[in-house]
Amino acid sequence: MIRLLLPFLLALAFAGPAQAHKLKVFATVEAGEAKGYAFFIGGGRAAQTPWLARDPAGARIAEGTTDAEGCFAFPAPQPPADVTITVDTREGHVASATLPASRFGGVSVATVAETGLPPAGPAPGAAPLVTDARLAALVEAAVQRQVEPLMEQIEQLDSRLRLADVMSGIFLILGLAGIGLWARGRRR
Amino acid sequence: MAHIPDGILSAPVLIGGGVVAAAGVALGLRRLDDRMIPRTAILAAAFFAGSLVAVPVGPASVHLLLAALMGIMLGTATFPAVLVALLLQALLFGFGGLTTLGINTVNIALPGVVFGMMLGPVIRATERPALRFAAGALAGALAVLGTGGLVALSLWMSSSDYTPVASVVIATYLPLALGEAFVTAAIVSFLARVQPDALRPVAP
Repeated sequence: MIRLLLPFLLALAFAGPAQAHKLKVFATVEAGEAKGYAFFIGGGRAAQTPWLARDPAGARIAEGTTDAEGCFAFPAPQPPADVTITVDTREGHVASATLPASRFGGVSVATVAETGLPPAGPAPGAAPLVTDARLAALVEAAVQRQVEPLMEQIEQLDSRLRLADVMSGIFLILGLAGIGLWARGRRR
Repeated sequence: MAHIPDGILSAPVLIGGGVVAAAGVALGLRRLDDRMIPRTAILAAAFFAGSLVAVPVGPASVHLLLAALMGIMLGTATFPAVLVALLLQALLFGFGGLTTLGINTVNIALPGVVFGMMLGPVIRATERPALRFAAGALAGALAVLGTGGLVALSLWMSSSDYTPVASVVIATYLPLALGEAFVTAAIVSFLARVQPDALRPVAP
């Protein structure tokens, strides 16, 4: 019995870390727009899936269907508020992510990001283009652009299956069986 | 899919699932003897590892459940096997949740036990490999569809927000049912050839 199932079990155990099964939502704020995507840990994106954004009171802010890449986007709420984005695959997988109000920064980010980067040098004869507020907004946009890939990576690392965890689960089960056999042996 | 997370189901569904699961586990534990304990542990480990391997299908992703195989090989001992594996998946990987442990156990184990009981006698008694293969495949497919139905039912009973759409459920569960049918039939046929005793949860 054990000899028969062990190869099968081992094959599954080593295939385990590659693929997994849980829906997650990644969401971030960029240029005054909340955007993100829904993905299965290790198993692709949730495409053509309804999503819904709500504020803390439960009122709908935006809703729609993810595109072929599982992405969604909607304008940041004004005034800034906590937003919870829920993705439901309509077959039992539901996941959500919350963007805190502080991530939406303020109005200036959106307006500045649209105008693009200011000219490299000061324009002759013109008033200084870059006020403190605009500079802050620009820095925020730039940092966001740089940090986003990292945040995605952290999200994926965080939910990665680790071989050590899979193995410890399997051996915990075998250990339980050993305890059961031992307890039965003692009673006799 | 079969791992319903915390915070979606309503309290009556959670409690009902917990009660049914507890009854099933109690039935199953009474069945465990020296012969069954290692087998239960190995199938629990196979289910634990097997349901971590997901394959994307359509808008979702699916994984093997092995419920029918457990139902045929373990009988009611399927309940404790599934419970332990789901508990570890929830604790180690955050799949499913602790409050939904009972209802998830029922959703996965119950169809396996039921179809294992219905088709098990045919699989054990028949002399014809083709019939055994067909019965194994049928048990595998029906158990998956049963799980799909129970998951949909538990979501529907809890809240209208997350009610699954029938067409999407069928689109994702049908390929899984076919895969599961093949895997169950192949393992059952193999065991019947090399170790027929492994298909009997009760010692002859």
